[in-house]
Amino acid sequence: MGHGREVTASQFTHLHVASSYSLRYGTATPAAIAARAAELGMSALALTDRDGLYGAFKHAEACDSAGIKPLLGADLALAGTSPGPGSRKRSGQRERRVTLLVTGRTGWASLCRLVSAAHAAHIASGDGDPAVTREQIAAHAAGLVVLLGPDSDVGHAVAARRPDLAREALRRWHAYCEIAVEIVDHLEPGSTFRAARMTELADDEHVPAVLTNAVRYLDPADSMAAQVLDAARHLVPLGSPRLSPHNGLAYLAGPAGMIATARRVGAATSARGAAAATFGTVASARGGGRDIAARLLAATAELARRCELDPARDLGIGSHHLPEASLLGVAGPRTAGPGTGWPGREQAALRARCERALADRNCRCARERLDHELDIIARTGMASYFLVVADVADRIRERGIRCAIRGSGAGSFVNHLLGISAIDPLEHGLLMERFLSPVRATLPDIDLDVESARRLEAYQVIFDAYGLERTACVSMMETYRARSAIRDVAAAMSLPPDEIGAIAKAFPHIRAKHITTALAELPELKDSRVTAPQLDLLFRIAEQLDGLPRHVAMHPCGILLSNRTLLDRTAAQRSAEGFPLSHLDKDDAEIAGVIKLDVLGVRMQSAMALTLTEIKRTTGENVDLDAVPRDDKPTYAMIGESRTLGCFQIESPGQRELVKKLAPRDVADLIVDISLFRPGPVNSDMVTPFLRARHGLDAPRYPHEALREALRETGGVVVFHEQVLRVIDAMTGCGLPDADLVRRALSAPDGPERTAVWFRAQALARGYDPVTVERVWEVVAAFGGFGFCKAHAAAFAIPVYQSAWLKRHYPAAFYAGVLTHDPGMYPKRVIIQDARLAGIEVLPADVNFSAGEWRVENPDLSSRTDLHDSQAIRVSLREVKGISDAEVARIVAGQPYTSLRDFWDRAGVSRPVTENLVLAGAFDSLYPDSAPAPPPLPTGPSPCPTGPVPHPTEPAPRPTGHAFRPTWPAPHPTGPASHPVEADIYEISVARERRRAAGEAGVTGKNRRQAQPTRRDLLARVGMLDRGKTRSAALALDIFGAADDGMADLVPAGQLRDLDPAERVAAELDILGFDVSRHVLDFYTGLLAGLDVVRSDRLDGCRVGDTVLVAGVKVATQTPAVRSGQRVIFATLDDAAGLVDLAFFESVQDRCAARLFGSWLLLVRGKIRRAGEGPTATSVNATACWDLSALEDIRLTGGMAAVREALAREPSVPNTPIRTGKHIFSNGFALSPYAETGGPGGSLKDAPRTLWHVSPGSSGNPGAG
Amino acid sequence: MYGEPVEVQTNADGRPVRFAWRGRLYAVHAVIEHWVVNREWWRDPDAVLPRPAGPGRPPVPGQPEMLHWRVEAAAGQGMPPGSYELRRDVSAGTWTLRRVAD
Repeated sequence: MGHGREVTASQFTHLHVASSYSLRYGTATPAAIAARAAELGMSALALTDRDGLYGAFKHAEACDSAGIKPLLGADLALAGTSPGPGSRKRSGQRERRVTLLVTGRTGWASLCRLVSAAHAAHIASGDGDPAVTREQIAAHAAGLVVLLGPDSDVGHAVAARRPDLAREALRRWHAYCEIAVEIVDHLEPGSTFRAARMTELADDEHVPAVLTNAVRYLDPADSMAAQVLDAARHLVPLGSPRLSPHNGLAYLAGPAGMIATARRVGAATSARGAAAATFGTVASARGGGRDIAARLLAATAELARRCELDPARDLGIGSHHLPEASLLGVAGPRTAGPGTGWPGREQAALRARCERALADRNCRCARERLDHELDIIARTGMASYFLVVADVADRIRERGIRCAIRGSGAGSFVNHLLGISAIDPLEHGLLMERFLSPVRATLPDIDLDVESARRLEAYQVIFDAYGLERTACVSMMETYRARSAIRDVAAAMSLPPDEIGAIAKAFPHIRAKHITTALAELPELKDSRVTAPQLDLLFRIAEQLDGLPRHVAMHPCGILLSNRTLLDRTAAQRSAEGFPLSHLDKDDAEIAGVIKLDVLGVRMQSAMALTLTEIKRTTGENVDLDAVPRDDKPTYAMIGESRTLGCFQIESPGQRELVKKLAPRDVADLIVDISLFRPGPVNSDMVTPFLRARHGLDAPRYPHEALREALRETGGVVVFHEQVLRVIDAMTGCGLPDADLVRRALSAPDGPERTAVWFRAQALARGYDPVTVERVWEVVAAFGGFGFCKAHAAAFAIPVYQSAWLKRHYPAAFYAGVLTHDPGMYPKRVIIQDARLAGIEVLPADVNFSAGEWRVENPDLSSRTDLHDSQAIRVSLREVKGISDAEVARIVAGQPYTSLRDFWDRAGVSRPVTENLVLAGAFDSLYPDSAPAPPPLPTGPSPCPTGPVPHPTEPAPRPTGHAFRPTWPAPHPTGPASHPVEADIYEISVARERRRAAGEAGVTGKNRRQAQPTRRDLLARVGMLDRGKTRSAALALDIFGAADDGMADLVPAGQLRDLDPAERVAAELDILGFDVSRHVLDFYTGLLAGLDVVRSDRLDGCRVGDTVLVAGVKVATQTPAVRSGQRVIFATLDDAAGLVDLAFFESVQDRCAARLFGSWLLLVRGKIRRAGEGPTATSVNATACWDLSALEDIRLTGGMAAVREALAREPSVPNTPIRTGKHIFSNGFALSPYAETGGPGGSLKDAPRTLWHVSPGSSGNPGAG
Repeated sequence: MYGEPVEVQTNADGRPVRFAWRGRLYAVHAVIEHWVVNREWWRDPDAVLPRPAGPGRPPVPGQPEMLHWRVEAAAGQGMPPGSYELRRDVSAGTWTLRRVAD
């Protein structure tokens, strides 16, 4: 026997390896590990991630690419042994774990079921992490080998020097299942001793012992990241006794290193028994050690060989596993397999269904197209796929949920005939090949858009129809990015929590690996504290965590559909939402051959559903949105004027500019518009030539006459993927399916270079002249992998049109829908202001009139029956800070209320929320005099509130019962001295509200109206009600009647000063997140008038190049990819008259970025810009910006002269541009790495729930810097 | 328990062969135990940080470890062997005698 030779052979297979899919444990991706194993000359590699199979299919793929054999397994905790995070058990109490290795298909099914069971048990016990019992392992033992390593009960007993217990444990395992003892020696204190004793134990018990390195990273250098992950997983700082010490040796060691380990362990065993006998000599420690090392390596190799998996046979990779035909109402077994070219039962059923739908179309091209598509479907064996998707779409619609197709599936005529898609591909020239082609064996993607508010309901429909054994949600990994990595590393390094938050929030949403570069390059970071050198270590470790998975989440839309063996092919756990969550992510689903259906929750679909409900509720009209003619002139006129706020996809500043230039006239134009507004067309500068051709400024130019047909619809400019396909086909004659492959190849890193050779040869061979070939190739190459699939755009164009149509014809209902479901990019204040400018009154929240949604209301009560032309919307109760869904439901169920006490008694709303309702004015209609015409604005020391929302100073409890008399000071009679301001729409609305509410509440006596409580009085009464120091409700009602409720004696009306207008707006911003009673800019009228600030409605009258000052509330900032590769910050201000769109180029960001991102109210100086010919939109290229409230402070102390002086100090000359590492694409397009990352701080959509007054010392002081 | 610097001679594997301590030369008869401990880099602001290999840059070796060797050694022939714990600080390049047990 050549043991000696085997020891020196350079073969070793790692049987115990954790990848980054062992969450917060491993640091290397499966691909990196497999590549390294191949580099080290290994021929096979196991992946045995902890607690899950998330990396399994990635491992199989990675091994395939690396040319090695995959092995799979899992490292699972044994139930009842986990200390759990935060527990107080001593560090010695580490959990027990075992590793399970799979042999063959049976073993894989066992492991899938076992891992699912581990997660189910974890949910059931509600304790810590997933775990299994020995009995569960025994129940799924078929095809599994259990490795008992240092972390197993056997290993622990050995380490504790209890060989008796170790032997007992080993025998127990042996009785249950196939086992091997796993030898690991990381050169920790005592680890060699333990490894040697375990080897001897295995020998004595005639159990194989195998060697592993319990790998969790590639290189020793990665161990610091692993240590941080340990700390993050256990929620303790580094150095905590709860963490096991690290020495960086759990890496993917090469064969030589593992052989050295085997020898070290062998040498430490006592030479005796079998070892000595084999050599037949007197045992020497050295000789016996060699023999034991050899046997260790041989047993490892033998087990590895048995566990090698065949991806096709054992994992089902390469075949499709679709739901059984019987589920689709197709009787009988399959009569033909996929790819045979013979129609099976499913194919026949699909044809029959399509034929029925085709019956009412008498057109030959439709018939030909259907036959063509059915042929492709038959050849790819996808019939049942189409039937499944059609079935799902039908069921969702039957439930009354709006459902639309998205993506390339709109290119299929079969999808249209099945009713999945509303788009007729024949009408818009969409291609089937872009969606499904016979030359690609992968499952196509059909995405369904449903109402966001009912997405989970749609999920439930699918689960009910197909059953839990065939259905699961797609999972996805939340990975470490800059902020999360900084948080975890800083916490591990014991930084104080508030400091951690401040550092993390200073960064935009970028990848962790860009932290250092961002520090050097981003102006808003350069000046901040986070560049302190002591943070360097933190940042560099944080960069190492880049992209590591940290949390499993439910994919926002993916659902897997398969046959009843799904759970034999992947594990599943329960998601936080209660759905089964597969361990497959969206890429794995394709590899595993199961249907991944994307059911996206689209807020606009919910908004439109509510719009339709409101139309029906207020007018009785049933609008069938899908049947509305798509050529409505007023709708297109509105779009062409860029009055598109709130509309799907076309409300962004860039789109508002584009639709104005393009002036769409039909759905085809909308498709072009959507496709043009993409990085591809923008960076290839297709927009300008297209617009020139469109407006007749240039004649359309075609690179060659043969391409006229393909490019006519866009005036000779390539806009769509479909056109690229047709161009490639026309030039090379390769056919559309291959043309799609060529198009896909173009987006590969070296794709254009490789494709060019083939393209030129083919085109020249077909007789095109070299000049034409070059010219066409340039167009094709420039388009690259960018651009847009026309089918995508066509699918989008329908909701774009529908939302615009609703806005044009039912504006109030539309605003109610949009404000309820918030589908857009702007904060609600923008939509609210848009509604006001459209003449729609916005009514405040009211306990009697508000519902859980925004509602359409007729502002004039006297004609309540005629709601058809109602022009008012009512704030929803859900906007009130802190309110729960249950509270909303109870309030609505209990309406109407007669008094505060009545509300308190019946609505069951918490005190803080009731107080918020009072402060937001939701009781004003019950106590009409508490809303006097807002007193004029004060000119006191500060016109803006500087503190938190005013809460009453509650009196100390004085338990004196009925005789109680308040003792706090008398209220302010009128408030501070004041000056008049012009009446505005808000005051009118408030006054009207008061009049109406007065009528509603049935208040009769004038004397009573004079003594109505203020909001502060009501707050005090809430406090009293909460303390229960009042008489019972029934008694109060008996004595005082409806509008009075027995509270007047306790807190007399007018006892406390009412909120002044500034305080009201502050309360609204805090509680609702937007201003209802008046626009915040109203408080800066003096300042703005003194500076000649131009309002947005006047900007169109300014000349290009004029320098202007504009001001407003910041409602959007974006850093999209632009052609030059600069990082341009686009910002939008709401200035009460409309929106001002701003651009901050790199040259001004040095001095503007911090203020721009740090302020909510801005004053901006810049130059008027209008680009292009034909209709244009006006925007402002900013050169300087200031925090408006800081300027107001200057005005109040130093007058307007001081403000002008501060403004004059700001230079107008651009600085040198910042240098950033741009990503240059092969077509010359450069992309800033910070494009699309947004700014630092929180989301702008939620930002304004604070006072607008900034704290002293903010960066807004123009004198600073 | 000691913390004294010692001079150590090693073989090609880095294993101690003999060491000089308090004026005497000790010969290492056997390695009883060998283990590796990482430094607490998070407490060390001057830590030289390792880096994994990235595109176009080689890995920087891991944070140097403390290599511990518990050996059986004797100061010359006929002297009774004792157990000594030697520690190698890789980054500093120094050896320390940590423990002696007779």
